[in-house]
Amino acid sequence: MYINENSKVVVQGITGKQGTFHTKLMLDYGTKIVAGVTPDKGGLEVHKVPVFNTMKEAIKETDCDTSIVFVPAKFTYGAVKESILAGINMTVIITEDVPVFDMLRLFELSRRKNTHLIGPNCPGMMIPDKIKLGIMPADLCHFGNVAIISKSGTLSYEITKAIGNADIGVSAYIGIGGDPVRGITMKEATQYYVEDEQTKLIVLIGEIGSDEEEKTAKYLSDQSDKPVVAYIAGKSAPEGKRMGHAGAIISGDVGTAEGKIKALKNVGARIAFTPWEVPKLIKEVL
Amino acid sequence: MIEELVDIKHEYYVSVALDVSERKFYLIASIKGGIDIEEVSKKSPEDIFKISFSYSQGLTDEIAQEMAHKLGFNDKLEVSTVEILKKLWKVTKDLEAQLVEINPLILTPSGLIAVDAKMILDDDSAFRQPIVRDLKIKKETELEKIANEAGFSFVELDGDIGILANGAGLTMALLDVLSSMGLKPANFLDVGGGASKERVYKALELLFKLKPNGILINIFGGITRCDVVAKAIIQALEDFKNAPPIIIRLTGTNDKEGIELLKNDGINAYQEVMEAVNKLKEVLNE
Repeated sequence: MYINENSKVVVQGITGKQGTFHTKLMLDYGTKIVAGVTPDKGGLEVHKVPVFNTMKEAIKETDCDTSIVFVPAKFTYGAVKESILAGINMTVIITEDVPVFDMLRLFELSRRKNTHLIGPNCPGMMIPDKIKLGIMPADLCHFGNVAIISKSGTLSYEITKAIGNADIGVSAYIGIGGDPVRGITMKEATQYYVEDEQTKLIVLIGEIGSDEEEKTAKYLSDQSDKPVVAYIAGKSAPEGKRMGHAGAIISGDVGTAEGKIKALKNVGARIAFTPWEVPKLIKEVL
Repeated sequence: MIEELVDIKHEYYVSVALDVSERKFYLIASIKGGIDIEEVSKKSPEDIFKISFSYSQGLTDEIAQEMAHKLGFNDKLEVSTVEILKKLWKVTKDLEAQLVEINPLILTPSGLIAVDAKMILDDDSAFRQPIVRDLKIKKETELEKIANEAGFSFVELDGDIGILANGAGLTMALLDVLSSMGLKPANFLDVGGGASKERVYKALELLFKLKPNGILINIFGGITRCDVVAKAIIQALEDFKNAPPIIIRLTGTNDKEGIELLKNDGINAYQEVMEAVNKLKEVLNE
C-alpha cells in the first residue's frame, strides 16, 4: 500500500531506544532507510544512517518519501505534521497513546495534502521479502497473494506466522492500529487490496469496538467478490471495559464481536474461531 | 420540586459525538429526549436529527440554526438553542471529548434548561487535560492504579487464572481461547509495547496479588523483547517464593535468548500458545 521495495525511508525519532533498535532490524530486512530525524541531533549517524534536524533537510539531502515515527506520544503530533507538510507520501505512526484529537487534526491535514497515514499504535506494514516498515518480527512469512489487515499488532504476528508456517504467501501485511481514530481504516485498506491484482484473498483481523468491521462488511457486499477470511478477538470480553486498546470497548450492543462476526459472515466471509484456524480456512479457498 | 416538574413543557436530546470510523463529528438532536437515545434510534429513527461536520469546520452558526429549526424552535428559542449547541461544541473541543450529551434538555415557561449531561473523555489526553487526570485517579481500583502507574492495561475479571500477555488483540484472543475451553481468566493484562524489565516485573507482582491458581504468560515479541521479559520472570520468581505455577510462551524478537535465559534457571518456556495452554490445564488439574 503506497510503498514498495524502492521506498526511501526516513525514521523520525531514530536516536531514541526503539528508533535505533528497529532501524537496525529494518535495515537487516533490506528496507532502504536513507535518513533519520531527531531535532538537535543532526550530524550524528545511527547504524550508518545520517541524522538530520528537520524533515525538510532529510528530504533535500536524501529524497526520502516514506516515514516511520517512533517519537513519544506528546511529540507525535508535531512530528507527523512536519512529515506531512514536508511532502512525505506515507507516514507510519508506531507510537502508542496519541491523543484522539491530535489524530483528528493530523487526519484532516493528511487529506488536505493528499498524503497517507497508518496508525497510530500499530506495528506498521510489510511486503514480505521486499520491505519491512514496522516493528513486526521479520521471519513471519514470505511473499505471495494473501493480504492481511489487522487492528491488533501481536495478534496479527500470531496469525501471520501461522499463515507463513502453512506455506501460504503474503502480498502485504498491514497493521492499521488499535486506536479509535486512525489513518487508514479497515475499510480503506480492504478497498485497496480488493483492487490489488497480486492479492487473491484478504484476511481481516478485527476486535471489539467501533463499527469498522461492519462498515468493511458493507463495502464487501457492495463492491467485491474477493474471498475473505476473518478472525475477531474479544468474544469473551465484558461490556463497558476498555480491553487494552483505546478503541476496544463494547458500549451497549455496539462493537460486540458477535455483531462483527455476523456482519462479515452475512457477506460470505469465512470466520475463524481461533487465530490458528485462519490458514486452514485460506486453504479451503486458494 | 413538584411545581418544577409540572412546568416541563417538553424534553429534548442534544449531543455532539465523534464518529471514530468516519473521523468526523455529528450534532445529534431529538424531540424525544429524556429517555435512552439508543432506544429512540431503534424504534423511531425518524425522530433523530443528525448533521455532520469536520473538526476544522467546527459546529458553525448555520449548523446550529439548522438544528434549531429541525427541533421546531424559532425566534427567542432559536437564539438560545444556537447558544447551547455552540457551547456543546466548545466543551467538546476544549476538553477533547468524544461525546458531550445533554439529556434531557427541558423546555419550561422560562426557557431551555439542561438537566442532565454525560461526557466521554480521552485517557490519552490526560497529560494536558487536568480533568481527565483527576477523573482517572478517582475511578481506579487499587490494582488498576498500580497498573496505570506502571504503564500497562489491566482489567479485573472473575476467574482464577492470572494472564500476562502483550498486545490487546492477542490478549483478548487468549482469553477467548481459555473461555471456550472452560478455563476462567482472572484478568486482562496487556503489558504494552516495548515493555521494560521493571514493567513486566510489576505486572507479575500485580498478578501475584490476585492470588490466582496459575499464571499464563503469552508474549509475542515485536517491539517487546523476549530476553527482557525472561529476565523479569527470573527476578520475580527469585523474589516471590510462594508464586503460583507459571506457564510461559515466548516467541518473536530475541526469543532464543529469552528461552535460553529461562532454561539456565530451570524454567521451561513454550513457543506455541496451545502447548502452553494445554500445559496450564494439566497443571491446574493436578
